[in-house]
Amino acid sequence: MAATTESVKADAAEAPLLNQKNLWAGITLYLVFYSFIRWYEGVYGWSAGLDSFAPEFETYWMNMLYIEIVIEVLLFAGINGYIWKTRDRKVMSITPREELRRHFTHWTWLVCYGWAIYWGASYFTEQDGTWHQTIVRDTDFTPSHIIEFYLSYPIYIITGSAAFMYAKTRLPTYHEGLHLMYLIAVIGPFMILPNVGLNEWGHTFWFMEELFVAPLHYGFVFFGWAALAIMGVVNTEVMAIAKLLKKDLA
Amino acid sequence: MSASQSAVRSRAEAVQVSRTFDWMILFTLFTAVLGGYHIHYMLTGGDWDFWTDWKDRRLWVTVAPIVSITFPAAVQACLWWRYRLPIGATISVVALMVGEWINRYMNFWGWTYFPVNICFPSNLLPGAIVLDVILMLGNSMTLTAVLGGLAYGLLFYPGNWPVIAPLHVPVEYNGMMMTLADLQGYHYVRTGTPEYIRMVEKGTLRTFGKDVAPVSAFFSGFVSIIIYFLWHFFGRWFAKTDFIADDAS
Repeated sequence: MAATTESVKADAAEAPLLNQKNLWAGITLYLVFYSFIRWYEGVYGWSAGLDSFAPEFETYWMNMLYIEIVIEVLLFAGINGYIWKTRDRKVMSITPREELRRHFTHWTWLVCYGWAIYWGASYFTEQDGTWHQTIVRDTDFTPSHIIEFYLSYPIYIITGSAAFMYAKTRLPTYHEGLHLMYLIAVIGPFMILPNVGLNEWGHTFWFMEELFVAPLHYGFVFFGWAALAIMGVVNTEVMAIAKLLKKDLA
Repeated sequence: MSASQSAVRSRAEAVQVSRTFDWMILFTLFTAVLGGYHIHYMLTGGDWDFWTDWKDRRLWVTVAPIVSITFPAAVQACLWWRYRLPIGATISVVALMVGEWINRYMNFWGWTYFPVNICFPSNLLPGAIVLDVILMLGNSMTLTAVLGGLAYGLLFYPGNWPVIAPLHVPVEYNGMMMTLADLQGYHYVRTGTPEYIRMVEKGTLRTFGKDVAPVSAFFSGFVSIIIYFLWHFFGRWFAKTDFIADDAS
């Protein structure tokens, strides 16, 4: 009886398997932030974003670019540095329940990664299409690019690398080596950012025209395929979680 | 740590944990596929998908199914062959269309002020459903590729016909004959995409008159078969669970 009471007390004190607050906070953070960004684009895209030689362009767009790049570098270093610094050095010794808890935390990261990929690769990338097919650009750093390439892409890169780093440092499943599809799922979409170099180089030849299906854009397509590697991650996770759940119940 | 110790304390908790993971996996798969599929589709067939005056009887009908059967085939290769879930194609296309509709409304209309009836996305759902149904009933990759791929190409134009037909009626404007969709394009100017790079109704196939769309759809179905095979194997490869050696571990 006493032992049972102790056990119940321990359960009550134990952290939940899934921290729902973190999950919803993560999803809401991206939603609220990108809603603000979309509002900013709507207001300052037309009023200050059409002529890159105008002083207001420097004020509202170039300053945004400088600020976001600095914050992104700090966030990338801070988040990944923290996850690495606080890594579990005895990851193979954790209890099954703790492992399950960490899988939930890992999936909170993956949910945020998927969400960030949606905003970057879908929302802001197709948005770039309508902006550049409508507006004649006079710079590589257009309002659309400052948001798409230099904000939404780095954000999913930071999120994806953090998810990968978390899995590698805290889950026994990923301790045995480097998961090939996980690497592709993170590095492939990351490579879209360096591919911007090709894109911008090409657009210096075809400055005015925006044909979205032009071969110049196929680098983005190739690296976008890498998002499918999430299937390999899902398969590995399903096997690991099923193994944890199918063990004999206490 | 006991090798046989369970991570959960009751069957009820096991079920709850499993369901929670299902939702988290579904959300992540949906959004990641959406992002990858959308960037692929908008940059290989996007211009035909963006604007009604690009939605012609020849190149739109040919290009859209060929470039859009890719992700459905790959996702089917994972969801059916590993989990017996016959929803790979449909879920991919639903994801893509959710992303497209949000974008067309929020950005094409909301930021650059094109009315939604010039920039609505193509309907890919009939072909996707047929792909899933053929795979479920046939349980054969070859059958799905040949029959499903062909159907995917053939169904695209009929699946969009009720939407696009009113915009393909002829109008006379300043002494010139054009479609209502062409007229939309003239009135809603896309400065960055001038008329001379619009790829519609090219070549002499147009002299086939009413046969242009069926011939294009048939060709599209043929190429879709090949693309399905290719992307099925891409999907299998992307679904692998292999590790590579890690010297640090």
